[in-house]
Amino acid sequence: MALDIRNLSFSRQILPVIAVIGLIFAAFYILSGQPDRELSDPEREPPRAPEMLADEQRVAGSGVVEPSSEVIQIGSALSGLVTGLYVQPGDRVAQGDTLFTVDDRAVRSQLREANAAISEARAAIAEAQSAQATSASQLELYRNVGDPAAVSRSEVIRAEGEASAASQRLQLARARLDAAQARAASARTELGRLTVRAPIAGEILAVNIRKGEYVSTMGGGSQPFIEMGQTQPMHVRIDIDEEQAPRLAMGEAATVSPRGASDQQVQARFVRAEPLVVPKRSLTNSAAERVDVRVLQVIYELPADAVGDKGLFRVGQQVDAYMPAKGAE
Amino acid sequence: MIWIAIRMLTGDAQKFFGLVFGIAFSTLLITQQLTIFINLLERGASGVYNVSSADVWVMDPVSRTTDVAYAMPSTALDKVRGVPGVEWAVPHIRAQASVRTKDGDLEGVAVIGVDDATLIGLPKNMLEGSIDVLSQPDSVIIDDVGMTRMFPGQSPIGERLELNDQRAVIRGIADAIPSFTSTVVLYTKYSQALNYVPGTRNRLSFVLVGAEDPTQAKALSEKIERETGLKAQTREEFARDGVDFIIENTGIPLNFGITVALGFIVGVAIVGLTFSLFIRDNIKQFGALKAIGVTNGKIRRMVAAQAGLVGLIGYGLGVLGTVGFITAFSSDPTFKGFYIPWQIPLISAVAVTVILALTGWLALRSVLKTEPAAVFR
Amino acid sequence: MATKMDTTAIGGCNPEAAICTRGVTRDFQAGQQTITVLHGIDLDVKAGELTFLVGESGSGKTTLISIMCGILWPTLGEVKVFGTDIYDLSDDDLVEFRLNNIGFIFQQYNLIPSIDAASNAAVPLIAQGMDRLEARAKAVAMLEKLNIGDQADKLPNQLSGGQQQRVAIARALVHEPRLVVCDEPTAALDAASGRRVMDLLREVAVAEDRACIIVTHDNRIFDMADRILVLEDGKVTHDGKDMPEDH
Repeated sequence: MALDIRNLSFSRQILPVIAVIGLIFAAFYILSGQPDRELSDPEREPPRAPEMLADEQRVAGSGVVEPSSEVIQIGSALSGLVTGLYVQPGDRVAQGDTLFTVDDRAVRSQLREANAAISEARAAIAEAQSAQATSASQLELYRNVGDPAAVSRSEVIRAEGEASAASQRLQLARARLDAAQARAASARTELGRLTVRAPIAGEILAVNIRKGEYVSTMGGGSQPFIEMGQTQPMHVRIDIDEEQAPRLAMGEAATVSPRGASDQQVQARFVRAEPLVVPKRSLTNSAAERVDVRVLQVIYELPADAVGDKGLFRVGQQVDAYMPAKGAE
Repeated sequence: MIWIAIRMLTGDAQKFFGLVFGIAFSTLLITQQLTIFINLLERGASGVYNVSSADVWVMDPVSRTTDVAYAMPSTALDKVRGVPGVEWAVPHIRAQASVRTKDGDLEGVAVIGVDDATLIGLPKNMLEGSIDVLSQPDSVIIDDVGMTRMFPGQSPIGERLELNDQRAVIRGIADAIPSFTSTVVLYTKYSQALNYVPGTRNRLSFVLVGAEDPTQAKALSEKIERETGLKAQTREEFARDGVDFIIENTGIPLNFGITVALGFIVGVAIVGLTFSLFIRDNIKQFGALKAIGVTNGKIRRMVAAQAGLVGLIGYGLGVLGTVGFITAFSSDPTFKGFYIPWQIPLISAVAVTVILALTGWLALRSVLKTEPAAVFR
Repeated sequence: MATKMDTTAIGGCNPEAAICTRGVTRDFQAGQQTITVLHGIDLDVKAGELTFLVGESGSGKTTLISIMCGILWPTLGEVKVFGTDIYDLSDDDLVEFRLNNIGFIFQQYNLIPSIDAASNAAVPLIAQGMDRLEARAKAVAMLEKLNIGDQADKLPNQLSGGQQQRVAIARALVHEPRLVVCDEPTAALDAASGRRVMDLLREVAVAEDRACIIVTHDNRIFDMADRILVLEDGKVTHDGKDMPEDH
């Protein structure tokens, strides 16, 4: 009877079936529509504490890779146009190698001027010496005349005067030679100052000038002309919050990973801690960032195989570091 | 006898449908209003749930929610990284900013800066583009609801904005749950966000932490609090904080509470009256059955079966109506991410059961009190 | 009758009597007053007879019949139906006893309007726990016996008054009770129909081991009784085959 289509009742059969189907559908909809709040693992590897420090007391810090000599910002003693550039980034240079030269034409003309003055002074000395010799022999002649009437007294006085004047002229000419030689020496020094040389052996990191550009010794130029530094070995300078600093186990190696490649961690040897605690330096490139937090800077040496052309670390790169704290095994 | 009871019930179509309507209406009102209520409240936690990988949120002790946060010095990140049990920690910035659109309109936006290297802090899914676009200069990712608000009817990809005098180019659309206020959200890198938000001394809003053992997140958060002096909340706690903030600062719970109570009362009234009328109409038949030899227990079971059928149909239709409502409005950005928590149909089921038990009990009383001898009068 | 009385039976009841009442008294509370409706009724009703219970309104006949069929407790006295002291039973057992032993025909029929005639007639069987379709088949057979088998699928409101009464009779008899109680079966009918119903009842209800009590004050059918009991002011004032002259 219940299956007889003619007796199918809307209230008793169709409605409950609709309700049950509706409930099943609703249950399915509701259960499948629950929000996805599952925790997921990050897609990219975030910096993690090394395994040996995972459950140990530890100190974390962030820092920057730098040459062991720190970055040397090469300046120029004199202003002028760049006339010669002898290095490019990546070059390794020895101490004293020429880096670049500044326009030396003005100094060279000064040198030539000085040389001319030297020649002139030398000529004057020769002329004065011959005049002196002439006047000296004249005076000798007069003095050897025994008859006072043969040479008048005034003749003798004039000859004495000429001899004196000649020796004065010689002195003057000698003085001029000294002056000219001094000028020439000074010009040569200037010439040397116009050639900028490497202060230490190291690697050229950046070259910010090109031939023909004007280098100024006045302030205001924001960029150094050339940056270089000793990149063998390479150091990292880690900032550690002053509150965390007392916990740091000095002398222990640090585990360092570069930003963005935190799965590649290296052990860096402790070098030293800076004696001066400094305000935290901006690591975010934001000029407006100022914080009143002070940090202890600790220097670690990166292993040699992690640096260089194919290495993981480059100068200026930001790194995350984990160091054991005091009391950790 | 159950068969007879059901026949008696459905024989009176008017009252039967009245009862079904009453239950369906109550169910719909309670379920639908509770659903909207819960979803609105959970909007307060959307900022937390949008970040799918952080087990613990670390913040300044005075911070309350994702939107009410006081910035910390950037070394807080290293402090947190120094706590044992922290597998990873990344910086997270959330700030308000004003954006100038191409047309020159000013719009308040939330700028969220995620860790530069790992991009932890972005929503799990992207609607358009990939998260890698953030590696391009001046890139931002807009959330989908913000997109519909700021660029109605057009694709925002490639649009230029001006944030704090800086250029920002929209290069992706994130699939995110909007916040309570449906503010436009722009995701960008942490370093970029610092430029987009006018500067104050401290900028770091949160440190997102991944626990070595996610099941021990609560213990880890307590440890972080102890060792750093910062406030650390697990994901669930912080989501709860967002919800509590809305509860404390809006009239939403009261409003929805009243509506839900009304749904219950209307249900009791309609169903109670109709059920009583139905029983009264059939009191003679019940009396005859009692005289013939049907025990009170069987009578109770008959009424229970009637209530059960009404409840099943009414509840089914009511829940179906709610599902239909949510489905119909799911494409509306206002209702984006709305779902029916599975507890709510259970709550309304309990409410329906209570309504039917209450009204059925009231109606039964008159039946049970009927003397079978009354049939001879 | 006295010679057949078995004095060893409890309360002095004749074990052969279908219904036996001894000293049945019933009081009703009406405010402060106590109204005694029945005064110590002693009755024996035999099986196989059509017994009429006659009386004016207020004479107590409804109360008496209610007590005799186990739906109203007497204040005093005892009632035995086929040897069972029914007011000694627990409530549920009494309900069970009624279901298995008594058939009711109500004045208003009290059919369930939303189920068809056969299902209405099958109600006692269904209540006994019989499968619904089996019960319905038995009910259809009973309806056929009452000549309305062709109406089995109709709802009560599609039937005439007489047909409804036949359905009510079928319901009273379908489970073959040993006692049939019939309340004013002819009150709503004209004389001819009333007689047909009474004929029918005599035909189907009266059997060797079945008692049939009819409550009525319809004087048109008194001649069809096997035994007439007249009740006045809570007492049996007449007991015989015919009505007394003064009625």
